[in-house]
Amino acid sequence: MPPISFIEVLNRSLTGPVSSEKEFDYKVGMKLRELVKKYDIKYNPENPIPSDNSLADDVFKAAVEFYTDVGTYCMDTERRITFTEDEIKEGIKNVPHATLFGEGNEAKFFSARTLESSEHPWCHVGAGIAVSSEELLVKLVEAFASIPETDSVSVPTLTEVDGVPIRTPPLEVYGSIRMIALAHEAMKRAGRPGLPILNLVSTAASQIAGIAATAPQFGIKPTDGWLVDAFPDLKMYNDVLTKAAYLLNWGANIGACYTPLIGGYSGGPEGTAIMSVAYSINGIMVLKSRYQLYYVSNIVNGSSSSRDALWALSVSAQAISRNIKVPIIHLSYQAAGAATEMLLYEITAAILASVASGISVESNHPSKAVLTDHIIPMESEFYCKVAHAVTGMKRSEVNELAKILLLKYEKDLNNPPKGKKYQECYDVKTGKPKEEYLKFYKVMEKKIIDLGIQIE
Amino acid sequence: MSSKEEILNKVVLDLFSYDVDGIRVDVEKALEKGFSPLEVINALSNGMREIGDKFARLELFLTDLMMAGDTMKAALEILLPKIPKDKAVSKGKIVIGTVKGDIHEIGKNIVSAMLTASGFEVYDLGKDVPASRFLEEAEKFKANIIGASALMTTTIPALKDLIEYVKAKGLRNKYKIIVGGGPVTKEYAEEIGADAYAENAVEAVKTIKNLIEK
Repeated sequence: MPPISFIEVLNRSLTGPVSSEKEFDYKVGMKLRELVKKYDIKYNPENPIPSDNSLADDVFKAAVEFYTDVGTYCMDTERRITFTEDEIKEGIKNVPHATLFGEGNEAKFFSARTLESSEHPWCHVGAGIAVSSEELLVKLVEAFASIPETDSVSVPTLTEVDGVPIRTPPLEVYGSIRMIALAHEAMKRAGRPGLPILNLVSTAASQIAGIAATAPQFGIKPTDGWLVDAFPDLKMYNDVLTKAAYLLNWGANIGACYTPLIGGYSGGPEGTAIMSVAYSINGIMVLKSRYQLYYVSNIVNGSSSSRDALWALSVSAQAISRNIKVPIIHLSYQAAGAATEMLLYEITAAILASVASGISVESNHPSKAVLTDHIIPMESEFYCKVAHAVTGMKRSEVNELAKILLLKYEKDLNNPPKGKKYQECYDVKTGKPKEEYLKFYKVMEKKIIDLGIQIE
Repeated sequence: MSSKEEILNKVVLDLFSYDVDGIRVDVEKALEKGFSPLEVINALSNGMREIGDKFARLELFLTDLMMAGDTMKAALEILLPKIPKDKAVSKGKIVIGTVKGDIHEIGKNIVSAMLTASGFEVYDLGKDVPASRFLEEAEKFKANIIGASALMTTTIPALKDLIEYVKAKGLRNKYKIIVGGGPVTKEYAEEIGADAYAENAVEAVKTIKNLIEK
């Protein structure tokens, strides 16, 4: 059976079963509830990173059953895009297990990982965090690219172009193209011009501006990657499908991007784990993605660091790693701000959950990525170092460490420390950390080493 | 427990089991048994408050909130017309939506459901709502409050547009405007002249109650 083509996906968006959006939301919620019960999937807060292969496989089976029944909702046509179980199995069978990114010295394959693998995770470094100036954007991307463990870069969001706040699509076009140019300049300065950009064009809220910035004449190469996002839960609209159509037509690597939300339509951590895997299948069937990026969040505290979010992340990652084998990254939103002790504990817990569960990582997003200039390059480097240090650890080992870390921060998730801006921790002119920040970092690094994580 | 009390309990149980057909029947029975519409509404409001509290602790989820909201609405369709006009039961009227250019609405949906659960009359305008529509609908609905949400850094300025638009139409003093959404901060809300900001749905309900009481 040949895999379902993207044109056939578009056809199904016009001919699939009709449904109002509300009916679809209810269908998602009720079907997940039914499957959690049927497969007896139970969240155990005592073990935020479980070592149960049968649990992971049950979550995968439930996700296939769920996605076969529910599919993806197209908000414009008010129809569901659905696939048979055989089509889904065929799609998964044809998933690329590795995708080539980067140019020259930086060219390498981003491969799907396995559980407890001794191969380092792919370190995607950067953040969609807004920055206040072009100068700072260059400094940050240069710093991200200078981290030896960096495999790809995510470029922050530019908020102004030539002093004009970026907001409407025409301004987003200018801002996004400028953002890409500045990123290339920064990577040259770091001596790594071939590093791939694996971004959602974060400056472009509209898909049309995203399409504009990903045009090859602005310096983009087929060895970069572009995130195309589904909306919660499992919804698409024509603008998103248009961006995917454009990217597929010039052979760009599409990265399926999605946000499973604990407490939303998918319910608790059990339903959210199933939903995460269903989103991954959506990425394969609808978006024809060659890599994926997701971020599990708890809808009440907005972070990925809560105990239930770590569980949903770990279980879904294990299900995907064992049964789908697509190159995939988890991006964690931390509740605490930059330059805080809590942030570094949250970062470490998220890495433990991702790496041992067989997937790769994107670096830190402090303050849930909502505060401008709240990103510290040394903390991105810390992220990569921890990711490499915990590579090869068993799930049972990281589970114990995660429990210790959770006790240190989970009580503060609803009222986290705000932290500091880049400008408070770094010299903006030189791009170097200030003495006070360095002292803080060294103390924190020692605390993590004392937990038994041998960061270099 | 008397059979009279049992029927009121049954109405609340219908709410907890999201039984729209059942609640229609049992609300009529409760009225027949001699409960006033306000007594039934009070019992249901207490039930909805409990559902809202359970959501805040993630013992229940968004689907539960939405279904409970639908069930409550079915009961209110029977009860509200029976209440004398001089005995208002609404805590306030709010129009709510996600701003122009932004189609993220889960957060807004939660706020909307929690407000309904707390006894407000909510008119949800959905997503990608232009400033002019917020105001037109607020006027039509005779709202006290306009609630607007933005989830992207690029759509946050539309919150300011909304406030400026309402000002330009000379109606700024008529409405309290509350803003929220992932990247929106209290500082930004103050900067653009919003009346209030809420970080999450639970806080939104408390803040709106305070706004109404002011």
